[in-house]
Amino acid sequence: MTTIFFATDIHGSDICWSKFLNAGKFYNADQLILGGDMTGKAVVPFVHMGGSKYRITLLEQVFDVSTDEELTDMKKRVRSRGYYPYMTTPDEITELEKDPDRVSEIFLAEVLKVVEQWMDLADKKLAGTGMTVYCCPGNDDMDEVDAIVQASKSVVLAESRVTMLNSGHEMIASGWSNRTPWDTHREEDEDQLKVRYDAMIAQLKDPRNSIFNIHVPPYKSNLDEAAELDENLRPKMAGQALKPVGSTALRKAIEETQPLLGLHGHIHEGRGVSRIGETLCINPGSMYEQGTLLGTIVRLGKRKVEDYVLTTG
Amino acid sequence: MSNLFVRKATGLVRSWSVMDAFIYALFSINLITLGLYSFSQMYSFEGGMVNALIISAIFIFFEVVVYAALIAVMPRSGGDYVWQSRILGGAVGFILAVTGWWFILWLWVPLYGDMFRHIVLVPILGVLGAKDIALWFAGTQNGAFTASLLTLAIVSIFIMLGMKTYARIQKFSFYGGMLGLLIVIALLLMGSPEAFKAGLDANAASMFGTEAGLYDATAALGVEAGAITPFSGGGLAVVFLVIPYMVFFNLWPNWGATLYGEVRGATDFKRNMAGMGWALGVTTLLAIILLFAIRKTIGWEFYVQSGAAWWNYAWGYTDVIPALPVWPYPALMAAFLTTNKFVQFLVVALMSLWWFGWCATVFLSSTRVIFAAAFDRLLPESVAKVDERTGTPVNALLLMVVPSVIVAYLFNYNLLNFQTLTLCSTLVIAVTFLGTTISAIIMPYTKPDLYRSSPIAQYNVLGIPLISVAGVIFGSFLVFLLYQWIFDPNGLYGIGITNTSSVIYMLANYALAAVIYFGFKAYRKSKGIDLGKVQAEIPVE
Repeated sequence: MTTIFFATDIHGSDICWSKFLNAGKFYNADQLILGGDMTGKAVVPFVHMGGSKYRITLLEQVFDVSTDEELTDMKKRVRSRGYYPYMTTPDEITELEKDPDRVSEIFLAEVLKVVEQWMDLADKKLAGTGMTVYCCPGNDDMDEVDAIVQASKSVVLAESRVTMLNSGHEMIASGWSNRTPWDTHREEDEDQLKVRYDAMIAQLKDPRNSIFNIHVPPYKSNLDEAAELDENLRPKMAGQALKPVGSTALRKAIEETQPLLGLHGHIHEGRGVSRIGETLCINPGSMYEQGTLLGTIVRLGKRKVEDYVLTTG
Repeated sequence: MSNLFVRKATGLVRSWSVMDAFIYALFSINLITLGLYSFSQMYSFEGGMVNALIISAIFIFFEVVVYAALIAVMPRSGGDYVWQSRILGGAVGFILAVTGWWFILWLWVPLYGDMFRHIVLVPILGVLGAKDIALWFAGTQNGAFTASLLTLAIVSIFIMLGMKTYARIQKFSFYGGMLGLLIVIALLLMGSPEAFKAGLDANAASMFGTEAGLYDATAALGVEAGAITPFSGGGLAVVFLVIPYMVFFNLWPNWGATLYGEVRGATDFKRNMAGMGWALGVTTLLAIILLFAIRKTIGWEFYVQSGAAWWNYAWGYTDVIPALPVWPYPALMAAFLTTNKFVQFLVVALMSLWWFGWCATVFLSSTRVIFAAAFDRLLPESVAKVDERTGTPVNALLLMVVPSVIVAYLFNYNLLNFQTLTLCSTLVIAVTFLGTTISAIIMPYTKPDLYRSSPIAQYNVLGIPLISVAGVIFGSFLVFLLYQWIFDPNGLYGIGITNTSSVIYMLANYALAAVIYFGFKAYRKSKGIDLGKVQAEIPVE
């Protein structure tokens, strides 16, 4: 019997990453798997107002801090939500407003800095435990993230390949998604996704005993229900109107291959469990902004899932 | 000056429309179904109806603040179940969520059915000339039970159609229903008591075969039944005693709360407050306008007396069949002011949309809670099964429908005194709300990191977090309601400790929830999964 712990969509949250690294010991899991979308969505400017004073606007509330302690505390608050603090001045802010390319550069630098810190933390925390983290950046993660993950000793980049887990189960993984309204870093058409999946599935020795760690959920699995948006990206009917946004190519691949387990994310509100034929598909969802690590513990037996549970850590 | 830079990333949507949120919240505190249904039952109070409407709305505004704040702190989490589980623990969260959002909805089914027959079936059949079948629905237990079964069928169809389709039905129903309400108010404001009296006698005779002198006979029956509730006025003490009945109608603006939003922050708090708050305010105002229009043309005394005459018979306090053999539905009475059949049909058809746009709420929350409990392994996985072809949550629906049929049977045929349990439907949900409110009050102190990095961290009253202040006010209001319902010192509500059926029914709900929680917890532990641990917070360091 092998116990795996899977979480996903932690979006830059330091708290969630620390909890994830501690989850193996906490839940007595043998294997840690992290789904895609590791990186945060917002940079919060800490605007130097002269002397030791900084002005920060977090979640539309203005905070003025003037001591080192307050500044450190504020940075922690910003990081706890997965956002990136950026020390700046009023003049630079004015420049940045006119220069979106420069904002992108800052974003990338902040994102990569945190990913490097995370890999260092993983190497420290997992050293000597025998535990390996398998991770697969998602559609929101820049390409540059991969190289940093690859350099880690304890975190293995699992994108687009077959990984043999300690339990003897093969796992295919991809953070690429079908098209989204946001034109994110790793998204492509369904026929391209099919090619991607087929290439990995063809390498599986025992497909029915495998794990599909695919960031996007399968279409119409109830794990992929998201608010329907209008042309201005405004939720229709105050978010009451939901529609399936998962991948049709993935659904077909699961229907045809019938792997043991599907591990998904992408749709934070899509927390749940679904069966497609014999395959158990799980999306643990995400509450990264609140520092809550949603996940799932799956106990794998010989050619079957013995048990599973969704966790709220 | 920019205060935030966001990048292209999944899920970064713009704010939803406050108008849309307003519509769903307004439908949750439904003036025509819940409002008129409960107003007609409130005939024996000394406090003024309008005063009770306004005072209860003031307290319920703090409910709006509590829920909007919790949504801002923990958005997209699924609501009461998660909030309570995270702050008060898994057992409390589960027991209060399944009783308040699942089990007690079984009792709501015959109530929805009762409103279906009175607001949809009987008026439409009456206007269309189907007198016998209209009277069968209105006045027989078989008719009432059939209306409950039809309600179950309609709601099940709406669930099968999915949330997206139902949201559209709700929006259409809002505009159609609002048009109908405006016509009703216009008819009442333009009519006169003499015209109403003549119209009632003539139309009720042709539609339902009533005898001459209907108006006077109904008024006499009402007086005999003890109809005294005034339109307005009364001291604060007697007005407060009206409120535990009034909240059957207006305790629910939070059902329309929107759980979306990311990165923006305080805007979502304000938008949710606006959506729910405006719905509460506008509904209260519309209720006052409608009651004023009723008073002008139907006459306040007759309105209260007709309700008393109906419920005195329906609740079995008298064997004398009301002179008006159908529920005194104000929209139908307004339609009596015209002899134009098309206008009459238009009025009752448009007003029926208030029911259709609202009815699926009886199961929507329940299916979500059943799914969440199954994912937490507190119910078998099979209850969350969804039919692949139709997308219908078949087993979750069965867990709603089957017990509802049994409860509807007991209620409609008044077995085991079930017809006295109407207000239990509100009490059990109020207990769930109290759990959430306590979570809100203590959250800034028990989860300081979560609170301090939330969009509401800077909203304080005299240095105390706004969410805690609003929680204490709304929580005190709920405690007052629970005290009145349970101990009922003035004998006004009929569901307290002297009503054995009520006590047993409610305790059975909580006992069943506790048995499921602790039973499944023990079972999962025997299989190697500690459910206590999977809901515990993982250490960060």
